[in-house]
Amino acid sequence: VGVPVRTWLSRVSRRRPADPSELVSTEDALLQQLAESVLKIDCATELRVHLANSLPLPSNANRPRIDLIVFVINLHSKYSLQKVEESLNHVDSSFFLGKVCFLVTGAGRESHCSVHQNTVMKLAHTYRSPLLFCDLQVESFRAAMAQRLVRVLQVCAGHVPGISALNLLSLLRSPENPPSKEL
Amino acid sequence: MATPRLTRNSQQQNRISQGSNSRQTTLLDWKVKDKAGNSKSVLEESSSLEDSNHADDQTEDALQTAVEYFQKGPKKASLSKDSVLEKHLKTVENVAWNNGLAPEAIDILLNVALSGKFGNALSTRILKCMIPETHISEDSVVKAVSWLCVGKCSGNTKVLFYRWLVAMFDFIDHKKQINSLYGFFFVSLQDDTLCPYVCHLLYLLTKKENVKPFRARKLLDLQAKMGMQPHLQALLSLYKFFAPTLISVSLPVRKKIFFNNSKNLWTPALLAVKLRNQGIFPEPLKLQLGPTSGRSLKRKWNYHSVIPAVNSAKKECREKMSLFDYLSNDRSLPVEQLQSFPQLLENIHCLELPSQMSSVLNSSLLLHYVNCVKDESILLRLSYWLSQTLQEECVWYNMNDYQQEKEFINFLDMVIRVQCFLQEGFYSCEAFLYKSLPLWDGFSCRSQFLKLLAWIPFSSFSEIKPLLLDHLAPLFFTSSIYFKCSLLQCLKDLLQNWLLWLSTEAQVQPMTDSPLETTLGGSMDSVSQLIEYIGWLSMVAIRLESSSTLLVHFILDFYEKVCDIYINYDLPLVVLFPPVVFHSAFLSLDATILNQLCYIMYRYRDNLTAAKKKDLVQKAKSEFSISSKICKEFNYYLTALVHCLWSSRPFETGVYIDPQIIENTGETQYKHNLNFVHHPCLLNYAASFLLQESPEEMPVHLSSIRGKKWNWYLDHLYSEGFQGLNLFIKSSIDHSSVSKTEKNT
Repeated sequence: VGVPVRTWLSRVSRRRPADPSELVSTEDALLQQLAESVLKIDCATELRVHLANSLPLPSNANRPRIDLIVFVINLHSKYSLQKVEESLNHVDSSFFLGKVCFLVTGAGRESHCSVHQNTVMKLAHTYRSPLLFCDLQVESFRAAMAQRLVRVLQVCAGHVPGISALNLLSLLRSPENPPSKEL
Repeated sequence: MATPRLTRNSQQQNRISQGSNSRQTTLLDWKVKDKAGNSKSVLEESSSLEDSNHADDQTEDALQTAVEYFQKGPKKASLSKDSVLEKHLKTVENVAWNNGLAPEAIDILLNVALSGKFGNALSTRILKCMIPETHISEDSVVKAVSWLCVGKCSGNTKVLFYRWLVAMFDFIDHKKQINSLYGFFFVSLQDDTLCPYVCHLLYLLTKKENVKPFRARKLLDLQAKMGMQPHLQALLSLYKFFAPTLISVSLPVRKKIFFNNSKNLWTPALLAVKLRNQGIFPEPLKLQLGPTSGRSLKRKWNYHSVIPAVNSAKKECREKMSLFDYLSNDRSLPVEQLQSFPQLLENIHCLELPSQMSSVLNSSLLLHYVNCVKDESILLRLSYWLSQTLQEECVWYNMNDYQQEKEFINFLDMVIRVQCFLQEGFYSCEAFLYKSLPLWDGFSCRSQFLKLLAWIPFSSFSEIKPLLLDHLAPLFFTSSIYFKCSLLQCLKDLLQNWLLWLSTEAQVQPMTDSPLETTLGGSMDSVSQLIEYIGWLSMVAIRLESSSTLLVHFILDFYEKVCDIYINYDLPLVVLFPPVVFHSAFLSLDATILNQLCYIMYRYRDNLTAAKKKDLVQKAKSEFSISSKICKEFNYYLTALVHCLWSSRPFETGVYIDPQIIENTGETQYKHNLNFVHHPCLLNYAASFLLQESPEEMPVHLSSIRGKKWNWYLDHLYSEGFQGLNLFIKSSIDHSSVSKTEKNT
């Protein structure tokens, strides 16, 4: 039995005035499913996922240590980006030493995007945090992403000998120059 | 004015329907008959469809009436004009989207739409449903273009018409007459709103003979006026390609997607037409040669929806060739008659490539032809089509549909096969990778993506690093060990393809005309940077995966390629592995890894000595010489390996550890611990050797392996398949040291 690893998947749901219930629920369901995929992964230690709509979290003395915060941004909704940007203000600066990452969904369907990719890339760059892309709608994609998140989480929790969260961050940092629009 | 046109109309239609009749019997066949003393056309179904079901007949009738209605124009007296119009329009739209329209119907309706007699809104609706059943006749297009000159249609209709023309370009039966309107289209470039679409059309239409100095000047003027527009760049780059001397401005090399096709109204309809056209050739050409022959039927079907069948450009002209045609045409063999390799060889001088270039992808014979004809325009046509298709078909650009993903994967597989066949990567695939890698999740179509990656054409390292490696690295670090291994493998393939290209290129045109690097030295720098980058990836991966045997195996596989560059590819380059790789391979618990390491050391030694020898021979000439740093590094590895494995004197040179420290740990026998007998990965071989020698002796004394027995033991190892060890020992350990060791042990 190893030391418990806890993760924190912060989730921001997509809300629009028109037809709110369905959209919220689909988004919620997807994140719930992602969390389930994460928990399904066989890893030697205990793993916990917490979903939250926004930060800060209600204060709770018994809250376990947080090893990784994943901000989920849906490119199809400006609101989702806005929520994440607001929530980022409440994150302690020490988390930005490798314990924050951004997960971007919906980049595939370019026509539906209301947030440009470059905006998210800039955001990730500003916060010096890695940026992951995944379409959560497809189950196999979700499972693959869950696996990657668990890899990152294991490093962040200090379970991979010889490599620290900061170490990993320096490897994952996005290139200095934002991608050109040429291609 | 209407009467003569209609008569001519119907004559042409008769001609066309004969043509199509003789070609394909299943095609819905329309005939137009002139009723006595009456210029209006009556559309009738031919007898070939008599037995088709009643419902079809009804829709046909309705369509017929609708087309007639549009042709005659609205009855002015009619009160219910709008509703009748709406009803007929609905009929046309339904038929168009369900089955497509016959060439004759398209001919009539295009006329109606562009004459603008029903107003703009209706013209737009008609144009939007101009979906061919199988093809569109060239004459219809020419007539439609003639309407553009009259000035009866609005700007929007014109734009829509050009968009339609671009979308349907492949389905126009031939393009000779359309090409003769090149000048007209070119003048339309001046219209700012039309310009992007006309550019696209011209891009499809331009042949070498269309490229004229005055046109090039005009294009340059336009570019100066409007700035760097992607569509103008596309056309300019095509012009530059055909006539490099005419266009002196520099154009971006990497940009491959010029036209935004995402707003194509007709995409689903186009797919349907392609499928229908497949039906006409129910049996795909049987090919005896190459990769296509072994494929299963089901698979063929899947990407047939994307790739058209082979169909030569001048098909219909041939059937009614006049004397003039005989005299003017050099006789060419239509590609669909090409069946065997000998036939290809006989007719190679007079082959005419299909009108839809992409169809060659399915035909290995034509690929042979494409490969040996050094016509760049072929590749240009192919790559244009490919980049559009890749963008449209890509899974996560569209919906995430399982069936679609399967098709896309099949399509990619086919492109990969073609690349392997031609032994070169397409630029459009490269551009596609650069565009989609930043968004890739590392999972979907993984093996296809990695294979495509291995075919990226040689380019300078500084160029591909930000486009490719900077996106792959984060995936590499966060993904599973299997992803890491497969990425390493595909980077090895990439390196191999680059090396092959460079080595043949260096022979053909010694370091002068390479497109990217002016000198061989520059290219070599790129290669060595790539190797060093992969070395860095490997180092980090070893840390992340705590020296997993599988991973180390893949890393050593990569270095097996690297160590032989000098001899195998005749390229002046020797790059060593980083110390981390050496040490984790040496200390691995798997004997095959040690064997692999020894083999690589042996190959490095051979390559370095060969390079040194050449260095001495042509000291003055060669610009490359093995740096002393590399030799020093190699010697360090070599002595470390020999001292540990052979002479049982570890840590004396290289990794120096104060003997006092080791003794403090209480370990006195450490000197032997890494030799051939005691190395952890060889222990069980030593034990089994001893048991073979004297089965009754238990427990075994490993230290008894010395002197003669030491040599027998080595023979035992070689017989177990450790050829790497064998080669290494034979090359690196001379007799004097052998006798010395024998004395020592």
